[in-house]
Amino acid sequence: MTASGSIVPANLLRATLAVAVVALVWEALVLFLQIKPYVLPLPSTIAEAILATPKAYIDGFVRTAIETLIGFTTGALFGVAMGVAFFRARLLRDIVFPIFIVSQTIPVIAFGALVVLWFGNTLFAKAVISFYLTFFPVTVNTLLGLESVDPRQVALMRSFGASNRTLLLRLQLPAALPQIFVALRLGASLGLVGAIVGEWFGDTTGLGVLLLQAMFNENVVGIWAALIASAVLGTGFYGAVAAAERAIVFWEAEL
Amino acid sequence: MSALRAALPSPATQRGLLGGLVLLAAWEGAARGLHLPSYTLPAISDILAGTFSRRGTLFDAALFTGCEALLGYVLGAAIGIALAILIALAPRARSLVLPAATAINSVPVVSYSPLILLWFGVGIASKVVMVALAVSFTVFLSTLSGLDRVDRRSIDLMKSFGAGPLAILWRLRLPTALPLMAAGLRVSTVRSIIVAIVTEMLGAYGGLGWLIYQAVLQIDFVQVWSAILVASAMSLAFFGLVGFAERKVIFWK
Repeated sequence: MTASGSIVPANLLRATLAVAVVALVWEALVLFLQIKPYVLPLPSTIAEAILATPKAYIDGFVRTAIETLIGFTTGALFGVAMGVAFFRARLLRDIVFPIFIVSQTIPVIAFGALVVLWFGNTLFAKAVISFYLTFFPVTVNTLLGLESVDPRQVALMRSFGASNRTLLLRLQLPAALPQIFVALRLGASLGLVGAIVGEWFGDTTGLGVLLLQAMFNENVVGIWAALIASAVLGTGFYGAVAAAERAIVFWEAEL
Repeated sequence: MSALRAALPSPATQRGLLGGLVLLAAWEGAARGLHLPSYTLPAISDILAGTFSRRGTLFDAALFTGCEALLGYVLGAAIGIALAILIALAPRARSLVLPAATAINSVPVVSYSPLILLWFGVGIASKVVMVALAVSFTVFLSTLSGLDRVDRRSIDLMKSFGAGPLAILWRLRLPTALPLMAAGLRVSTVRSIIVAIVTEMLGAYGGLGWLIYQAVLQIDFVQVWSAILVASAMSLAFFGLVGFAERKVIFWK
């Protein structure tokens, strides 16, 4: 416990240090090579732009974070449930799984346009788009994880009279967790993509809105500011899932 | 007997086709029976008719998007594989390349599109760059994990026979990495087309994404669905093609 407690701040410290170094090198390079701000603005200019109107960035950050969180959570739960259902019922899997696959080839902007039309320009519509991108990898990896369980272990538990439910909760799902978490980490990134693209169909707050507004105004500093805000959200979200993975799948320590 | 069985689709495929047909029938029935307006859900038959009557426009758009996606895909795959091999040959580069790649990837890929559009213009270059960006990271990570999976003892064995790092890479590590590399290449096919389409939405002179966005603005949802149909067919064909190549190359799997 103490070991993991000391590792996380050390990593955080190193990451902060790395960011600081990158920002300094970037600043120095832009000044030294006299790169035009249109091509690459100074990090200090970007920081100033964020600090000048912090409310817009904080509001956008929170709004996009909520959309992603709702979409990701429902997508993850649905994905695991479908994975288990496909694992249990071969017939259901044969019938529904191909439809899932085809659904994933629908370009997200076309899907986004339809969802915004169906549900209006609401937080819910963005969460649905985020859900749509999250659930598929989770379904696939849950199924893969469940199928790779050692049949001898299943036979052993059966011989002790374990029910299907016990088998699932005590053996199959725990054994599938490493695979499921691989998909959850991927889903964390994809869910954010869904939320940002969803906001492009007209909204008033969100990181996607900030990006789009900055682009239409040809405001390069604004684009970078929104880019960095979405990087912070993406890294934070990914980091949270990875931290949950380390805490829950503690037996696979080499992550 | 086996020839007959090979000619018929497997039971799983039959059930899959059945599922698809039931879905299409339910869709058609719901759209016709409930008289849904086309902006809610157009009937399948209307979508097919719309696709057929606008086949010229759709074909041009698909060709446009397909070229962007393919160029970006090849470029991205080459960059991803080259970076992974570089790290495998020079382990010291890992501590530099890996954090940089992770940092670039921590930004959701669509967030780059406004910047890339400003840098590379509204033309085809910006889409190629976006696709290459999205593809290279996936291919890089999967190739790297494949190259890392090699048994230490096999490397030691080859070294004991006097094999250099290049021989080990070519004869041992690359063949071992091939299945994972191919999995990354396969996943990237659908992504490449979707990223091209998403980038086209923000600014383009043509392509499926541009077509979809124009149709959304004109509230022409039969056209949106037609474009979805073409995009899906294109993604599935690309996916199938790479999957087929994969089975030919990795024949031992």
